[in-house]
Amino acid sequence: MINVKDLHKSFGHNEILKGISTHVAEKEVVVIIGPSGSGKSTFLRCLNGLETATSGEIEIAGMTLTDPKTNIHLLRQHVGMVFQQFNLFKHLTILENVTIGPRKVKKIAPAEANRVARELLAKVGLVGKEASYPDELSGGQQQRVAIARSLAMGPNVMLFDEPTSALDPEMVGEVLQVMKTLAIEGMTMMVVTHEMGFAREVGHRVIFMDDGLIVEEGAPQALFSYPQRNRTKSFLAKIL
Amino acid sequence: MDPIRQNLPVLLDGLRLTIQYSIVAIILMVVIGLVAALMRLSAVAPLRWIATAYVEIFRSTPLLVQLFFIVLGLPAILPVNHWFGQLTYPILAAALTLSLNEGAYVTEIIRAGILGVDRGQKEAAQSIAMNGFQTMRYIVLPQAFKRMIPPLVNQAAQTIKDTSLLAPVGIAELVYKGEIVIAETFASFAIWGLIAALYFVLIFSLSKFSSYLERRLQVDKR
Ligand SMILES: Nc1ncnc2c1ncn2[C@@H]1O[C@H](COP(=O)(O)OP(=O)(O)O)[C@@H](O)[C@H]1O
Ligand SMILES: [Mg+2]
Repeated sequence: MINVKDLHKSFGHNEILKGISTHVAEKEVVVIIGPSGSGKSTFLRCLNGLETATSGEIEIAGMTLTDPKTNIHLLRQHVGMVFQQFNLFKHLTILENVTIGPRKVKKIAPAEANRVARELLAKVGLVGKEASYPDELSGGQQQRVAIARSLAMGPNVMLFDEPTSALDPEMVGEVLQVMKTLAIEGMTMMVVTHEMGFAREVGHRVIFMDDGLIVEEGAPQALFSYPQRNRTKSFLAKIL
Repeated sequence: MDPIRQNLPVLLDGLRLTIQYSIVAIILMVVIGLVAALMRLSAVAPLRWIATAYVEIFRSTPLLVQLFFIVLGLPAILPVNHWFGQLTYPILAAALTLSLNEGAYVTEIIRAGILGVDRGQKEAAQSIAMNGFQTMRYIVLPQAFKRMIPPLVNQAAQTIKDTSLLAPVGIAELVYKGEIVIAETFASFAIWGLIAALYFVLIFSLSKFSSYLERRLQVDKR
């Protein structure tokens, strides 16, 4: 589903990603951990073209992102992204937030788009909030709307960039629960998070990134219990 | 004889012309400003250069000089009066010059409004596969528009006042008609006072209308 070969990304002379290679299978849930500034967000953002790779190859959802001939807008229909700050459209209602993509991008009729949006809002537990505006909702509710907004495009892959880091502790669970349900239904997911419980319970594989490189990866239990590299050990000692 | 009552129809005709030029210039300045703002923010370098040059040139020279140059100067080297008509050319040129001048300021207002929208909004739009046009049209501009209303209304008021600079290049509007009336009646104090009052009513009602508009948008949408 995702194939990354020797991905490099620089901002000016500052090399942030220094050669990332990995493969994510269909229905796999991969959790990415690593210290702040290690390039986790940059890596995810390269996967849907929000950042342009400096070199290397990215195949995702059956398309080659790094091929200049690839239609990036078509590719993004298949790759959903959820942001740390939710980024809901402030001027639109909750229902409109979820329908605007299908309506304007996929040209789906309003009635059908509304029907799908209501289903998705029910799925993330937000029935009755359709007419509200984002700033009338709690952080946890907003993040669940953001997930529904992404799902409305019918993606094959979902990328989550620290989806619970901006939330009050009591709201973390409701968002993780939605993500867990998605994983169980077979969504291919890449999740940057420091929620170790989620990584253990839902993740199939954990990637530890540091300084623009994948330092170590493996099954959650193995990586958390028997880290091989010193950098992994010292990072885990700090957060576990 | 009451100079005001007797000449009121002439002055009201001038007011009508002032309102007409104002409406045309305000509509054009927003259209020009939007296009130039999008050009200034474009990824295509030559578009950025053209728009930047336009803004700098019009903001760094006096409107009165621009009007003299285009309305009276240009016909000296080009047969524009012949192309557009002796009577039409000055009116067209004056209205367009005024619009271009105000549009340079509007460009900066719209550009600042667009840049003021949180970057995350644009990225979220891109992440649901919107293209550049859709992102602007459905996500960025609607949010930018709300914060642009107060400075745009300000600029509209400025535009109304600036139409008075059409008189020196021979375009009939309120000030022009006022000067004619004064030349006949010598009632300088009364006529200029009345003209000031007419501008005041025009601009004051515009600002009242805009506060009303802002309140409405506050209630309807956030
Ligand atoms: N647009 C950008 N321009 C310049 N530097 C950037 C940009 N985006 C990220 N960086 C830098 O890249 C590094 C990695 O950032 P990021 O990928 O956000 O790390 P992480 O998500 O792991 O905390 C940081 O040092 C950050 O300052
Ligand atoms: Mg990050």
